[in-house]
Amino acid sequence: MQPTPPRFARWLLAQFHPDDTLEEVEGDLDELYTYWYERAGPTQATLRYLLDVVSVMPPFVRRRQRSEDYYQSKCRTSALHPVMLRNYLKISLRTLSRNKLYTALNVAGLTFGISCFLLIGLYLFDELTFDQQHRNASRMYRVIEHKNVKGEGTTVAAGSYKLAEESKKNIAEVEKTARIRRTGRANLINPENPVNFQETVTIADENLLQLFDFPLLEGDKNTALKEPNSIILNEDLAMRLFDKTQVMGKTLKFGFMDSPLKVTGILKNHPRNSSFDFNSVISDASFYNADYYKQTMASDWSSSSFSVFVLLKPNTNSESVSAKMTNLILANYKPEIGTSLSYSLQPLKDIHLRSEGILDGARNSNVEAIPQGNLLYINIFSFIALFVLCIAGINYMNLSTARASNRLKEIGVRKSIGAERSNLVKQFLFEALLVTSFSFALSLLVVNVLLPSFNQFTNKQLSLGFGTNYRIWGMAIAATAIIGLLSGSYPAFLLSGFKPVLLLKGLKIKHSGSLSLRKGLVVFQFTLSTVLIVGTIVLFQQVRFMNTTNLGFNKDLMVVIDVNTRAARDRFETIKTEMEKIPSVKNVSATSRVPGEWKTIRMVKINPQGHTDNTNVSYLFGADKDFTKTYDVKLLKGRNFANPADSSTVLLNETAAKLLNINEPSDQPVEIPLVSERGGGFEPVNKDNTPFKARVIGIVKDFHFQSLHDRIEPLILAHINNPIHHIDYYTARIDANNIPETLEKLKTVMVNADQDDPFEYHFLDQQLARFYLEDARRQTLLIWVALATIFIACLGLFGLATYSAEQRIKEIGVRKVLGASVVNLATLLSKDFLKLVLIANGIAFPIAWWATDNWLQEYAYHIEIKWWMFAVAGVLAITIALLTVSYQALKAASMNPLKSLQTE
Amino acid sequence: MRRTYLGEFEEVVLLMVAILDGEGYGVTVSQALEEHTGRIVTFGTVHNTLIRLEEKGFVRSELGGATTERGGRRKRLFRVTALGSRALQEIQQLRQDLWQLLPPNTLRLGGV
Repeated sequence: MQPTPPRFARWLLAQFHPDDTLEEVEGDLDELYTYWYERAGPTQATLRYLLDVVSVMPPFVRRRQRSEDYYQSKCRTSALHPVMLRNYLKISLRTLSRNKLYTALNVAGLTFGISCFLLIGLYLFDELTFDQQHRNASRMYRVIEHKNVKGEGTTVAAGSYKLAEESKKNIAEVEKTARIRRTGRANLINPENPVNFQETVTIADENLLQLFDFPLLEGDKNTALKEPNSIILNEDLAMRLFDKTQVMGKTLKFGFMDSPLKVTGILKNHPRNSSFDFNSVISDASFYNADYYKQTMASDWSSSSFSVFVLLKPNTNSESVSAKMTNLILANYKPEIGTSLSYSLQPLKDIHLRSEGILDGARNSNVEAIPQGNLLYINIFSFIALFVLCIAGINYMNLSTARASNRLKEIGVRKSIGAERSNLVKQFLFEALLVTSFSFALSLLVVNVLLPSFNQFTNKQLSLGFGTNYRIWGMAIAATAIIGLLSGSYPAFLLSGFKPVLLLKGLKIKHSGSLSLRKGLVVFQFTLSTVLIVGTIVLFQQVRFMNTTNLGFNKDLMVVIDVNTRAARDRFETIKTEMEKIPSVKNVSATSRVPGEWKTIRMVKINPQGHTDNTNVSYLFGADKDFTKTYDVKLLKGRNFANPADSSTVLLNETAAKLLNINEPSDQPVEIPLVSERGGGFEPVNKDNTPFKARVIGIVKDFHFQSLHDRIEPLILAHINNPIHHIDYYTARIDANNIPETLEKLKTVMVNADQDDPFEYHFLDQQLARFYLEDARRQTLLIWVALATIFIACLGLFGLATYSAEQRIKEIGVRKVLGASVVNLATLLSKDFLKLVLIANGIAFPIAWWATDNWLQEYAYHIEIKWWMFAVAGVLAITIALLTVSYQALKAASMNPLKSLQTE
Repeated sequence: MRRTYLGEFEEVVLLMVAILDGEGYGVTVSQALEEHTGRIVTFGTVHNTLIRLEEKGFVRSELGGATTERGGRRKRLFRVTALGSRALQEIQQLRQDLWQLLPPNTLRLGGV
């Protein structure tokens, strides 16, 4: 028998050896095998054969070029020759304009994806570049104090005077430090044009401008904050006070301070991606001569009176520096037993996004904390951006492969007149790039149209234009190119691979493998859509619930007026009487806090007299006898405050009464020994450690004095003359008619009482709505995300429907000839997709239930999840899906069967 | 001098093709190489060299001569082209010229 070489090696050879030389090489190797077999036996022959096979496989083998290549390689037309490019362009444009619907869908999908990507990219770029405008940002840190008093830990972004001043001298790695404190608001007045306006000023030492690169329009950064009684303003504030920015050397009066302040610098407005938003800075030197300052700062090692920023020398380990700081403080200050104190350094660039759990210290309670970014949003947004972009690309791929059969003839003709596979690949890629570039241009337009609303929603000032950072442009263009190439490559390689003869004969392509992938994709997209629809419905209901639920008091038509000056506070009886005289004012109440308070409400520890072992924590604020009437709070038992002599009486809410085991108020004596302090702990009410003794005279019905996110906590309504919290607000219930006039009258009363009072007021219902701002924002976000996913899911489904209608065109023709009606056929085609959407719903409902249930737990008072929410979502998803599919189904079903059957 | 560089192995293979005079193809060239020079090389080396020689225009090829031994497959038979034979002659000429320039007895003295 003829000896034969190993079959596997033969198979390998046939698989991998270049086609055009396969025949002769196979023959040669067979011949050589026989030769070696006869000469040296089967083992030798097999070994040689194997070796030879390997030697003629890639990458070792040299490919034969076509004979014409030897002579014509120089004059061949390149696939990227201008003439060819023009031809691609022409054909692409023709194809695109012939199939307007598909072109529109593709462009819409891609535009959508790219727009989302751009918007989110801008947002992320802004968030991630917070505070990076300072030259030495990478070496700048904020001092964080970690304090633990008897197991209660606090983390505050603050430090002491000595910490800032001494670490600069004693720790070699520290190059500079700067101290900032925000002491609160007071009137800042231009004496030439006195208008009362409360300003939050920042006080900083002279290093502030040297450490940070806050650009000064005027003034010298080295000296601007050196002299006592200097103030620098930013452009906005200068414009507001003086109507111009050239105001160097002018003077200003500040409420807290006796001497006038001299303007020594004009600061450029802060960019939006800055954690710092101060608009005026007073030099700390202004206080150096004050006695209290000299006394306290000389030994101030452990306070948290300042925000301390440090600049480290290059290549310094911040942890070793913070350890040295801790040692430095502990060497000079011995904390009490049970108290531990340490410091760490937070990089400047982490302030915006990584400050969770860190209190922004060194500020008065009426100064807003540094606004924080939200890492969760960042993650959600990045996910959406990538997801939408990918899906848009995949859908493009789907649609163009689904439409492929329309182009098979074209490909066949191109191939038979000499186009190579690479030419066709290039052509399809070119087409994909054309579509993506067009979408890119369109999305630039879309983004610029959407940016104003997007800015409002995200509270940013983003823009996309020539001034935009080149990195954003680079990223956007790269993403577009990649999505174009990737989504174009699949159809390009798939379509160009067919044999021309088959194409021209009218072959239909079939590849079931990728079909199930597409089905999976559609199920996935619809699952996501349904979950989001359910989420939107639930959140919508919850927000409505929060806005309409009975709070236990009447929030409508309430004007809350801030008490900012001592005069306005001390003469409150007169002011109240004056206000009540206004005919359109129904009731007036003076309180230290109001229900729905946005500032912190004091907390106290309370116990029945003599039972110091039975203390409970409760909220407390002061109120006068008109409080219950003005706010419509129901007094359940006992009596209201009656006269000024009641100053040591309190009302309790039901929760507090239950806590103290009081059923019937009958002047039960209670003691309030401790009250919360700014840092988070408690301090004695009276300096001599004696408790505030009070009598319980009444119980009011529970009302939501905090947001509905929280359960109703115990609350003590102390008489307005209590020693813990003096009055801070007047609340007037007014008529719905002619509100501006009423406000004007109220203002007159306030200004008559005190010239300096700036008359600041809020409407209570608006203020309450601010509690739910974040929820409303989430709602908006969710609605948009839901719309986005639904849109994308529809595009995907449409692609799949188109594909399947193409595939079954003969079947439909036959069915029609045999008498099926249009309705029959449309049902037949839609049924498959309905199945997919139902599967998606089946997956989505448990997920949605679990997610929304978890999430409603965040709210102390929330709605129940009802079955109809799922039903609505499910029906919505199915309807949308059916609408999408029905176009294709009807089109396919109503086609003339002759058309589909005549070609074979 | 020469328009295309001809490597040493290429030159030998080209000579083999010339020697085989129309009967040269993968197998015969390999066998001739082994027989005349004692070199056993993988088939791929010969295959690649033949393709490269054809690209350079020193040989031309055609398919033909199927036998049962090879399962009815055709061979690619190579012939030396005019360019190829001129290249071989030029090499030969060059060698001879260079040998002429050799001073008498140099090799003998330097060699052994």
